[in-house]
Amino acid sequence: MTEQQLESRQRIDTINPNDTPFAIRMRRLRTVSRNALDELLKSRTATIGAIMMIMLLVTCILTPVLATHPPTKPNYRVRLQPASADHYFGTDKFGRDIYSRVLWGGQRIVLISIAAVVLGLALGIPLGVFAGFFGGRFDSISMRCVDGLIAFPGLLLYLLIITVAREWKLEGFWNDSILVFALGLNTMPEIARLTRGTSMVEAKKEYVEAAHVVGEGSLHIALREILPNIVSPLIVNATVRLGYIILIIAALSFLGLGTPPPTPDWGSDLNVAREHMESNPMIAVYPGLAICYSVLAFNLFGDGLRDILDPRIQER
Amino acid sequence: MPGKKISNTFGKQTRREFLATTSAGIAAASAAAMTSMPGAALAAKKKGGTLRFSTRADARGLDPQRNIIYYVSHPLAATSGGLLDIDGNMDIVPAIGEEWTVSDDMKTYTFKIRKGVTFHNGADVDAPAIKWNYDRVRDPKTSHSFHRSFFKLVKEITAVDKHTLRIELDSPSAVFLASVTYYPINLIAPNSVDQVDTHPIGCGPFKFVSWKRYAKTEMVRFENFWQTDAAGNSLPYLDAIVGYPKKEDKVRLTALRTGEVDLIENMSYADAANFKKTQTANYNTWDIPQVGAGYLAVQAKQGPFAMSAADGKLMRQALAHAIDREAIHQAIFNGLSESLSGFYSSASTWHMPDIKNVKEYDPEKSKAILRKLNAMNTPIAVVARQAYSYMHQTGEIVYSMLEEAGFKPTNEKFDNPVLRKKYKKADYGIDSTANSYRFEPDQWYSVNVLSTGPSTMLRTGYKNEAADKLINDARQTRDKQVRMEMYTDVESMVNEDCALIYTHGIPLTSAGTKKLKDYKPAFAGPFNISNGGVRVAYLEG
Amino acid sequence: MLIYTINRILQIIPVIFILSVLVFGFVHALPGDVIDTLTATDGEEDPEVRAALEKEFGLDKPIYVQYFIWVGSALQGDFGKSLVTRRPVNIELIERIPATVYLALVGIGLSILIAVPLGTLAAVRRNTLTDYSAQITSLAGISIPEFWFAILCILLFALQLGWLPSSGYAPLFSEPGKSIWYLILPALAVGFRQAAFTTRLTRSSMLDEISKDYVDTARSLGLSERKVIYKYTLRNAMIPTITISGLQLASLLGGTVVLETIFSWPGIGLAIYDAIQLRDFPVIQAGVLVLGVMVVVINLLVDLLYRVLNPRVGMS
Repeated sequence: MTEQQLESRQRIDTINPNDTPFAIRMRRLRTVSRNALDELLKSRTATIGAIMMIMLLVTCILTPVLATHPPTKPNYRVRLQPASADHYFGTDKFGRDIYSRVLWGGQRIVLISIAAVVLGLALGIPLGVFAGFFGGRFDSISMRCVDGLIAFPGLLLYLLIITVAREWKLEGFWNDSILVFALGLNTMPEIARLTRGTSMVEAKKEYVEAAHVVGEGSLHIALREILPNIVSPLIVNATVRLGYIILIIAALSFLGLGTPPPTPDWGSDLNVAREHMESNPMIAVYPGLAICYSVLAFNLFGDGLRDILDPRIQER
Repeated sequence: MPGKKISNTFGKQTRREFLATTSAGIAAASAAAMTSMPGAALAAKKKGGTLRFSTRADARGLDPQRNIIYYVSHPLAATSGGLLDIDGNMDIVPAIGEEWTVSDDMKTYTFKIRKGVTFHNGADVDAPAIKWNYDRVRDPKTSHSFHRSFFKLVKEITAVDKHTLRIELDSPSAVFLASVTYYPINLIAPNSVDQVDTHPIGCGPFKFVSWKRYAKTEMVRFENFWQTDAAGNSLPYLDAIVGYPKKEDKVRLTALRTGEVDLIENMSYADAANFKKTQTANYNTWDIPQVGAGYLAVQAKQGPFAMSAADGKLMRQALAHAIDREAIHQAIFNGLSESLSGFYSSASTWHMPDIKNVKEYDPEKSKAILRKLNAMNTPIAVVARQAYSYMHQTGEIVYSMLEEAGFKPTNEKFDNPVLRKKYKKADYGIDSTANSYRFEPDQWYSVNVLSTGPSTMLRTGYKNEAADKLINDARQTRDKQVRMEMYTDVESMVNEDCALIYTHGIPLTSAGTKKLKDYKPAFAGPFNISNGGVRVAYLEG
Repeated sequence: MLIYTINRILQIIPVIFILSVLVFGFVHALPGDVIDTLTATDGEEDPEVRAALEKEFGLDKPIYVQYFIWVGSALQGDFGKSLVTRRPVNIELIERIPATVYLALVGIGLSILIAVPLGTLAAVRRNTLTDYSAQITSLAGISIPEFWFAILCILLFALQLGWLPSSGYAPLFSEPGKSIWYLILPALAVGFRQAAFTTRLTRSSMLDEISKDYVDTARSLGLSERKVIYKYTLRNAMIPTITISGLQLASLLGGTVVLETIFSWPGIGLAIYDAIQLRDFPVIQAGVLVLGVMVVVINLLVDLLYRVLNPRVGMS
């Protein structure tokens, strides 16, 4: 370990016994942000991941500016065109601009997956921490509910929710909200179980017992001591989940249960492009690459973020 | 009974053994034909093989009278047979019913039943057995409403003697023969009714062996099938056929190209266009020009497009002028088949070249109408069925055409149960849909155009008294030419009223390896046809 | 441990109850009229037929009565008969479930075989070429849409090289050779993706463990590096890996629909998906419930294993 690294570790780990917990946290946060760039540049994965991720997010934000054509407007007179100055990625089966569709589709899918993961975390973490920490009856009841949800196998939950939701004539935003709800609901159990499992281990550890001896309240311990210690596996899980959700949306579209056409959607665009895979392979390449790129960006960034947030894992 | 003995060995016997054991047992006439031509029998020995084929769909259940044996799609269609057959042109030809007479008032049909025809279990296919079958189809407890609907007019069925069947109708019909063909009404052995859901016994060219839904259907040659080839050899030639339903078009095509199956149906339209360009050296393809007709059903029961609305007709015409059939032809069907002005494409013997009033593509005209009626941006919901990509893709393209023409469309796809609910509630504007092929035109016009037709009442609410009269009269007209003229007039009215807007023929491309010989599907796709399909195909080597 | 195990088995009962209510609720909320779908054709509606069918399938009774009848006969192993094929639902399930379990088990097995050595190696040899290639492969595995990977596999191994069949299925016991032949590509598609997950997880939990104090202690006590890694660290690091593999197996039971479609694999996921489209509610209910029970049992086993492996977690 270089001296500099050692120094930065110490900066995080040294705790002044006179500081309030809040001050410690704030200081930790300040240190982390001060070191963020350092850390980032130290890890190649993190650097690449962060750049990819920022590019993805910036592209999503700038989509209205970057897109050259309305994404849903077919022009069946220019269908299946190769790339050109007017259509950067060419046109699809319906003569729509693939470039614009990929952009708009990206904005949608990224938003949906972030919202779904946030929902999953918001539901799963509190449940897992409390269940793991308090154990007993609360653990039993909440874990039974989680088990009930987990027991709903795989894609079938989405299939049923989405089929049921079709009835409600939801359009645009609300339709996507159902997707977010279904995906979030399905993210929750895994997060809760993971959090619970780790909390159970942590709760038995010395520092928690020490905190008990010092007389700190249980909730306080759960929040302050356990939560930071389970951040690392959660971040790995949540970022993997982000990418995973993009893939689930694609799979649902593959089964024809995605957003109804003509909304731009990477999954269903890929599916339609499959028809032309041998004659016009490039149509399938763009949404396919877009999916791979985004999932990769989330995963790399997750890895990087993990290294930065978790001071225990340093270059060895 | 020799036939029984063979069925236990499941076709492992060679043809020579088969001939030796069965020649005594089967009908005298065909036995004589066979034994008198030993050369032909020897030559036929070479024809055989096990055909592995892949379809898009699979049967929903085994009982052919409770489940629609959809004649273009299900492997099981090879196990069933009907009183009459269809040939390669989808014309009705004799089968188990060798001959028939129709009374002058067109209310009594008398069929002469071929002698010596048996079911797969050896039971005779005779008049009492057929009557039993038809009574079963007429009973709502034991049949599907689709099958039942073909016997709506039947008053009484009588087995006059073992080989004569008489069917009396409530009202005259010139089109009843289409109700007793192999499709839609199949026969099962009456004494096998208990096993119909597990092991159906039919009288088709192949015997049922096993069925694993969406995995595999095994069938073996029925040694006592009634049909023979020109040389008198009994059909079919193939020893066995095995169906592997594969839902995905790409999966089927790949299975053919990797040699896992010998025959596939239903290539995706993009694949079909490409495949024919690149693979003709290795594979045979069969373009089936029309399996059905694609059309747009306008909801004319209520709202701005209703039959009863003052400007309903003009509004519907504005819709029709917005539709660019050529774009559908290119974008959805990749140039296969053709745009339609009536239900039947030019490949059909029912094609009507003189249909009038087709609304040409002219979005400016649509806009002009909308402006005149002060109806710019009239909302209209374009709906389509999720299961068929050509339907919802046509829906997508229609959506954009309507938008260009000044409407304010929305576009959604649904699965069938939801869509039917929407039909009932008149909760849609325009439905991009299609109807599978009707080889008897009355089955199209009486159901979808006639104002009292069930589909008309469910979906469009179309009503044209002149058309109604023509359709009802045509049903009682024997002469095909005269009927064609009547239907031509009906189609011209349909085109003028625009409650149904015909768009495009639904093509079907089948492909097989070069090893598969003499296979030829019918014009609308079925592979079990009189002197065609799997009955005469065989594998080389 | 025994008492705990019995306790956990008893806890399954409420989970299954919750699941049965969920399934029944969802299925009966499905839009569209079951009978209408069953008789949907050009044919005319017949109120008598409708009444007869409703009676036959028990739809004429109040919904809660329907639920109790369903649960009552399900407890006796009778799930009624399929609305569509009219065969007993049991036949439909017995034909389909083994195919999915077979695929999922082999897929997960394959993934563990690949992932544990790879993940461990990557962690031990952190920042070496081994680590990078393991990471890149696993990132690729996570980033590529499953169906895309499957299609590419078919294009390469079946179409281009002609080594393996592109689709199909044969039961293991009656035709073992053929069965394995057909299984290779689908199992590869399942395994590759799951292995990618598991490799990442194994690697990061290994890193977590390696950085812990006891490793330093063990080292300082003079234990060999090999012994430290394989005896202590790996054992602890396997806990999340096993948890996740169990969850993966459970989610695969209903999650292979897409691959089942692509490989024409007659699994239960595809059967339920079809049944949803056709509103064949006896099959949906029974299928989801049976799968759900299997998931619950798997989760129980994972939980017990978790405790055996991690004695620090109490048996309370």
